[in-house]
Amino acid sequence: MALIELRDVTKSYRRDAIEIPVLDRVSISVPEGDFLGLMGPSGSGKSTLLNLLAGIDRPSRGSVRIGDTEISSLSERALAAWRARNIGFIFQLYNLIPVLTAFENVELPLLLTSLSKKQRRDHVMTALNIVGLGDRAQHYPRQLSGGQEQRVAIARAIVTDPKLLLADEPTGDLDAKSAGEVLTLLQRLNQEYKKTIVMVTHDPHAAERASHLLHLEKGTLVEQVKVG
Amino acid sequence: MKFINLVLKSARRSKRRTALTVLSVAIAVFLFSALRAVLDGFNAATEASSSTRLVTIRSTSMIFNMPTSHVDTIRSVPGVQDVTYANWFGGIYKDPKNFFANIAIEPESYLRMYPEIIVSPEEKQAFLEDRTGCLVGSGLVKRYDWHVGDKIVLKPGIPYYGTQDYPFTIRGIYKSGSSAVDDQTMWFHWKYVDERGAVHGQVGWVVALLNNPDAATRVSQLIDEKFANSPNETKTDTEKQFQASFASMLGNLNLLLGSVALAVVITTLFVAGNTMAMSVRERTTEIAVMRTLGFQAVTIFLLVVGEGIVVSIVGGALGAFVARLIVNGEFLQAAGGFIPQFGVNNWNAVTGVGLGAVIGLLAALIPATMASRLKIVDALRRVA
Repeated sequence: MALIELRDVTKSYRRDAIEIPVLDRVSISVPEGDFLGLMGPSGSGKSTLLNLLAGIDRPSRGSVRIGDTEISSLSERALAAWRARNIGFIFQLYNLIPVLTAFENVELPLLLTSLSKKQRRDHVMTALNIVGLGDRAQHYPRQLSGGQEQRVAIARAIVTDPKLLLADEPTGDLDAKSAGEVLTLLQRLNQEYKKTIVMVTHDPHAAERASHLLHLEKGTLVEQVKVG
Repeated sequence: MKFINLVLKSARRSKRRTALTVLSVAIAVFLFSALRAVLDGFNAATEASSSTRLVTIRSTSMIFNMPTSHVDTIRSVPGVQDVTYANWFGGIYKDPKNFFANIAIEPESYLRMYPEIIVSPEEKQAFLEDRTGCLVGSGLVKRYDWHVGDKIVLKPGIPYYGTQDYPFTIRGIYKSGSSAVDDQTMWFHWKYVDERGAVHGQVGWVVALLNNPDAATRVSQLIDEKFANSPNETKTDTEKQFQASFASMLGNLNLLLGSVALAVVITTLFVAGNTMAMSVRERTTEIAVMRTLGFQAVTIFLLVVGEGIVVSIVGGALGAFVARLIVNGEFLQAAGGFIPQFGVNNWNAVTGVGLGAVIGLLAALIPATMASRLKIVDALRRVA
């Protein structure tokens, strides 16, 4: 069964008087448990597509359904609550909050739940242990390497046990070794923990880890490839 | 409560900027508390003043004296039960900087009519029996480490009393029993300084005790009528009115000091607001990330406002504390007894902290609104 359904999704931005088209009638279907890679040249609309899936942007036309929810019709308030429960987002530049420890960064999404302090603590340590950083919980981002920061960001993304993980160039700012560790972790989350993952990437090595690839060009889907 | 850690850590993000904001709020609250102490002091003295005692001075100005014959004339006015009188001596103790009120009184009647001047019977008797004796307030004793029996010399500050020294012996230490009387004054015998002075037989003000407080207006008029069209016309008011007019000699204090306090608070508001706005601008990406994680716009708003309030409350508490320390300690002595009940009381201190919170709230409103309305995609794109 498809977890993600996009139907004729079009997105354009208005900059002053100019209308800039980004996506043009894109339709995709992603089954639950899939690991999908989105590739394409710069400006092809990959990140825009990811933003639509995350519910942090709205399509100009068309529909976006994740699970049973037609997210393109939700209010801002409902969308925020939906994101908190259903989405884990991994940014290219990690985007950890520098004044919070690794523990506190991972705990952030749980502050929006009704879990007790002890329950939040258990969830956080589980997530940090999955990414292999249980012993760095009290360290600040400035005390971690780039790869470790990205792993903390992944822990933050999975701590609420979301259905869907969205990763926007997660290895774009990492060296080869760290990139490899992060990709191995994402593969493990997909294969072992059955997380559905959509990953935007330029990196062919990253693309190899996905089970399917979609190529976008000038806002339209040009190719779908099964990997491996 | 689970967000309090986030608020506190965000507030400590830039320690230097937070410290400067705390300091600016502290200064505003300090000034507010100190200015309020002045106003409250004048108001307290006025409120505590008697409405059964009338004060008569020269109608032209208090700085001009009246002949002692006025005392007996006032005593003879129907409705007057008792009379006393006093002169401002304006003496200097060692250095002009050592300012305190020193007043020549008719001792028996003055102490009889002012039961708020509390002194032991033995010391009172010793004072009455010694023409060069004086009573000093407990506040003065603390200030100069005086004791009963000490000799004090005052140089006259008014030409009326000549240029020679006036030696006194401390015969008693009094405590104040009312807000209308301070504990920073030196009282001594009117006869002693009148005899030694360059001009004789003059009084600064006459105090009359009424039989019936309701007759204050009528008796005041009767007293002034006695001296109408004479070279020494008088103006008589209740002591309460006299205190109020004394304060108003300094101008419209409420307006003046209130305006100063308001100007300082508004300036601090703008400073704190600008600081909050800068802090929010620097955190655009973080806010966008938190929105992506599912934080509602209203939660972001409350977090930013919370941060503003926390920082400003710390500043407010610091300002109120320093105001109490300085105003209640040193400053009281610098007022020289002019303002009997002068200090930052508990209510003023709490108001100061509350003012800090209000400054924080108002300063954070606009930055918090901007933060909550941030478009997630645009904010994330700014960094990328």
